[in-house]
Amino acid sequence: MTAAAWSALLPYLVLTGALLVLLLVVSFRRSHALAMWLTLAALVATLGALPGSNAAGVQDIDGFLTIDAFANFFNGLFLLAAIVTALLGYRYVEARASRAHREEFYILLLTATLGAMTMASAAHFAAFLLGLEIVSISLYAMIAYPDEGQAPLEAAMKYLVLSGVASTTMLFGMALVYAAVGTMAFGVVLGASADPLVIVGQVMILAAVAFKLSLVPFHMWTPDVYQGAPAPVTGFVATVSKGGVLAVLLRYLVETDLLSHEALFLAVSLIAIVSMIVGNLLALLQDNLKRILAYSSIAHIGYLLIAVLVVSALASPAMALETGMFYLAGYFLMTLAAFGVMTVLSTGAPADTESLASYAGLFWRRPVLAAILTAAALSLAGIPLTVGFIAKFYLFAAGIEGELWALLWALVIGSAIGIYYYLRIVFSMIRTPDDETAVEGSGRSIEGIAAASVLGAAIVAFGIFPTPVIDVAREAVRAFGGFGE
Amino acid sequence: MTAVAVPLEHVLFVAAVLFLIGFVGVLVRRNVIFLLMSLEIMMNACGLAFVAAGARWGQPDGQIMFMLILALAAAEVAVALALVLQLERRFASLDIDTASELNG
Repeated sequence: MTAAAWSALLPYLVLTGALLVLLLVVSFRRSHALAMWLTLAALVATLGALPGSNAAGVQDIDGFLTIDAFANFFNGLFLLAAIVTALLGYRYVEARASRAHREEFYILLLTATLGAMTMASAAHFAAFLLGLEIVSISLYAMIAYPDEGQAPLEAAMKYLVLSGVASTTMLFGMALVYAAVGTMAFGVVLGASADPLVIVGQVMILAAVAFKLSLVPFHMWTPDVYQGAPAPVTGFVATVSKGGVLAVLLRYLVETDLLSHEALFLAVSLIAIVSMIVGNLLALLQDNLKRILAYSSIAHIGYLLIAVLVVSALASPAMALETGMFYLAGYFLMTLAAFGVMTVLSTGAPADTESLASYAGLFWRRPVLAAILTAAALSLAGIPLTVGFIAKFYLFAAGIEGELWALLWALVIGSAIGIYYYLRIVFSMIRTPDDETAVEGSGRSIEGIAAASVLGAAIVAFGIFPTPVIDVAREAVRAFGGFGE
Repeated sequence: MTAVAVPLEHVLFVAAVLFLIGFVGVLVRRNVIFLLMSLEIMMNACGLAFVAAGARWGQPDGQIMFMLILALAAAEVAVALALVLQLERRFASLDIDTASELNG
């Protein structure tokens, strides 16, 4: 390997090294604070290695990984999300896990992040599989982390079985494609192939991807797992694990030109439309904030599929790729902010603060947290002056460029339905509380409040002045396959 | 490498049947241990398909994938059995249906 390849690989090496150090430190000296600070240092150091990795240009690592600015854009998002999760998780884990095993949470967090980063740069089925499974297996344990309560355990078990079925389905699909084309690298153009092995294999792979992205009709696990998982982990599941799969999906589709197959394109369009409509409709029926956010995430990934489809429909998809990346960045911000507020409020309570009723009067008790949650809800709804509005605007422009009218209608209808339940979250915070249902705002997690405040501020700041994020995304797209030229 | 004596289609057919057996097992079994066994059958069906595909092209890649699958299955089962112990402790049952607090 050349020196440039090593420097491209540096973020991965730093994170892996730090992971091993943390494992050793934990086995010799148990200290929750030390583990948390080491984790933060590891994540920041990995972030610091990203610019150098970008400077190395597009690096092909033995046909296994392709490390480029596109991958590093996603890597940056994952690392920032992991930093937020570590900050939010600190007091939460302290309260929910016994002294004997608090530190392993951070080990799992780092492995999951490493898995997502592997997916972002995967250029081979084996890398895809490894990344996906590293994320999933870490998440099973993270979901079941709290010592008490049946819900986390049940959620972890459900997720393990269903996600195991999805992973094996994907594996079988990969085996069929490999049997037909003789290579597992992404570079083979498969779009026009009429070989039944390829078609069945691709359908199995896409179904598993749809499961991991929780798209209708593979979404059944989402609300249960979101509800059962501890709040900081839910935020991580909603962002990093889905972002990783989306990154690999984008690269895979661009390299194989898969959706030039008309029936597959139609099927993915249908999945997108149904996800947008059904996700938003089912969210209307919920009184539990975690379940609302679960259905809302189904709808948002449905919106994101518009960008994915435009990428496949156009010969020069630079703008659509940029849109997808910007939308994902916005989705990360608002989802993490919402779960951040929930985590801070849940920290001092015996169970997670999930029901909408317990948010009544939050504006008078915890004005800062209420403001952050309001910003997140308005942004998810796509109200102007938030990053969610810019993201949706971008998506709309991309949809028009790709002339996907049916999908745009679904986007409009879905967003209109969405406004109702997002505003319901805001209004429930203004309402006067019934004495029993409202949580006493006992969560005093300084780190958590700081992290959530930064996210809330970023939602508004990038909503007014989105250029920095757009510039980074544009640079990343230019490096990816030379679309920018 | 010489060409395999068994045609690819036959092996893929056996793998598909194994995969379906595992899948049906996940659907109908309610005991967690049996669920995990069914998952294992599905994983090994994938492994068989990979080995057959690798043999068709005379490449070691299929067998390497099988080893990766073995490692992943081991990791998954390690976590799963830890969860099974907790499940038995907190629910006093290994029936997946008793764990159904969450619904909606």
